[in-house]
Amino acid sequence: MTAVTLTYRFKRSIQRYSLPYLFIAVPMISLIVFLFIPMLVSLWWSFNEYTGLTAAKFVGLDNYIKLLTDDKIFGRSLLNTTLFVLIGMSIGPTLGLLTALMLNQNVRFRSLFRTAYYLPVMTSLVVVSTIWVMLYNQNGLFNTILENLGFQKVGWLSNPHIALISVAIASIWQGFGFETVVFLAALQSIPRELYEAAMMDGAGGWAQFRHITIPSLRPVIIFVYIIGIIGSYQVFDQVFVMTSGGPVYSTTSIVYYLFGRFMNHKLGYASAIAYILFAILVIFSYLQMRFSREKA
Amino acid sequence: MGIHPKTFRHAFGRFLLYLVLISSAFLMIVPFYWSVATSLKLEQFVFTNPPQWIPNPLTWANYIHVLTRIPFLRYFTNSVIVAVTTTLGHVFFDTLAGYSFAKLKFPYRDQIFFIMLLALMVPFQVNLIPVYKIMASLHWINTYLALIVPNLTSIFGIFLMRQFMMTIPNELLDAARIDGCNEFGVFRKIALPLALPGIATLIIFTFMGTWNDFLWPRIVTNSEKLFTLPVGLSQLQMKNTSNVAQIMAGTVLTALPMIIVFLFMQRQFIEGMTAGALKE
Repeated sequence: MTAVTLTYRFKRSIQRYSLPYLFIAVPMISLIVFLFIPMLVSLWWSFNEYTGLTAAKFVGLDNYIKLLTDDKIFGRSLLNTTLFVLIGMSIGPTLGLLTALMLNQNVRFRSLFRTAYYLPVMTSLVVVSTIWVMLYNQNGLFNTILENLGFQKVGWLSNPHIALISVAIASIWQGFGFETVVFLAALQSIPRELYEAAMMDGAGGWAQFRHITIPSLRPVIIFVYIIGIIGSYQVFDQVFVMTSGGPVYSTTSIVYYLFGRFMNHKLGYASAIAYILFAILVIFSYLQMRFSREKA
Repeated sequence: MGIHPKTFRHAFGRFLLYLVLISSAFLMIVPFYWSVATSLKLEQFVFTNPPQWIPNPLTWANYIHVLTRIPFLRYFTNSVIVAVTTTLGHVFFDTLAGYSFAKLKFPYRDQIFFIMLLALMVPFQVNLIPVYKIMASLHWINTYLALIVPNLTSIFGIFLMRQFMMTIPNELLDAARIDGCNEFGVFRKIALPLALPGIATLIIFTFMGTWNDFLWPRIVTNSEKLFTLPVGLSQLQMKNTSNVAQIMAGTVLTALPMIIVFLFMQRQFIEGMTAGALKE
């Protein structure tokens, strides 16, 4: 009898403790093989000169020093990417909030409008970029319209002073619908009573917006900016399809440059670029944690 | 007797609101419309002035070219295989792991979960090259395995499913255990059905992410036979820069499946997308 109970207990405890490990086994193995080990490997490579074809040669911090002090194209890619983030973040979320505020009025066909803004968000960036390459063509729709209005044609993707802005515009068009949808959902979750109470106190539209809407949206605003900044710093698809990093490196982004080094068998160098990008993203993730913990 | 000024101001405000809404929605739709229209034109009418808003003559030749001369159907099949398999993997593995982290007790559970959350911050570009080397050493380049296996599960998916599983009351699970259900049975019969809304969100995120993914499939495939739609489209665009109408036919074929899925599951899409943002 006792023996039976003991075996039963033993089986139960095996089940209790080993089964969960079985349940998480595949994700854990996958995580170790495809994330943790590769992370360490590429950290190691970043201190090496490594082509992937011959043995790695340890060079200490050389890759980082070269990237941060000597490599003008990498410097350019840092600048380009930061500008891309700044342009995108100064327009995208604002556009998202404005459209969300409009849709939050009692409008007809709200879901139809929402669909229109959201459609590009779920379309692949390659598709969106391909469409915009056509629109930006020297004889494309934009230039035809400009010409008919009596303006000069614009070298949207061929003028090095304009190309980055053009890529950013297409990206904003593609992405702001996400912010619209997130802000709209957040706006609809603000309790009506707050506005009613404010109206009783004689607060006008602007005062309500400043003292109720904005504070209530604060966590969502932080979320949208941080997700946006982190995502934009990794910009690649648009650059690959629309400009291949040109003209004269004016649109080369960090990840596009990394991709180029990788294709040229500079694996150690590319790994160092990846770690610099990682460091940038860690800073923003840290800021998000700081901001979200702070009380409004 | 004129209109009351307040009514007038209100009506004018509404008019302005709709004007802005309609014109901005128009700006969102025109690029899509323009690419469809272009795909139905003869190449010589692509860049005319004045712009040809309605294709004349209307031709299907570009689609026929893209479907017969370029293996777009093959790209489509590849995209379906990769996206569906990856999504199934996520549904099974992420859900089971999410359930374990939410509802089962085991040593070091919270420590493991914390490490996973930290790993969520690592951009995939950091692992890209080593994972590529793993694929190469396994001779998986240009196979479905390279496109699928490294992406069968994700920390984000596990995290998402854990959040949904947390909301299931423990009493329900315990009741099933008392009834003699084994642990996997509890998961399959009780937890899984209750987490269905969460799973819908997971499916949407994963399917869309995989369908639209570009950098990884671009790196691990260099044979047309294995291209997914975005990779195939980008190749078409680079190789064939002169023929815009054909490129647009390819673009429409690449975008269409996702747009159809979206239009049918719009509510789930939007709820899924906002769930992450508002749950904070």
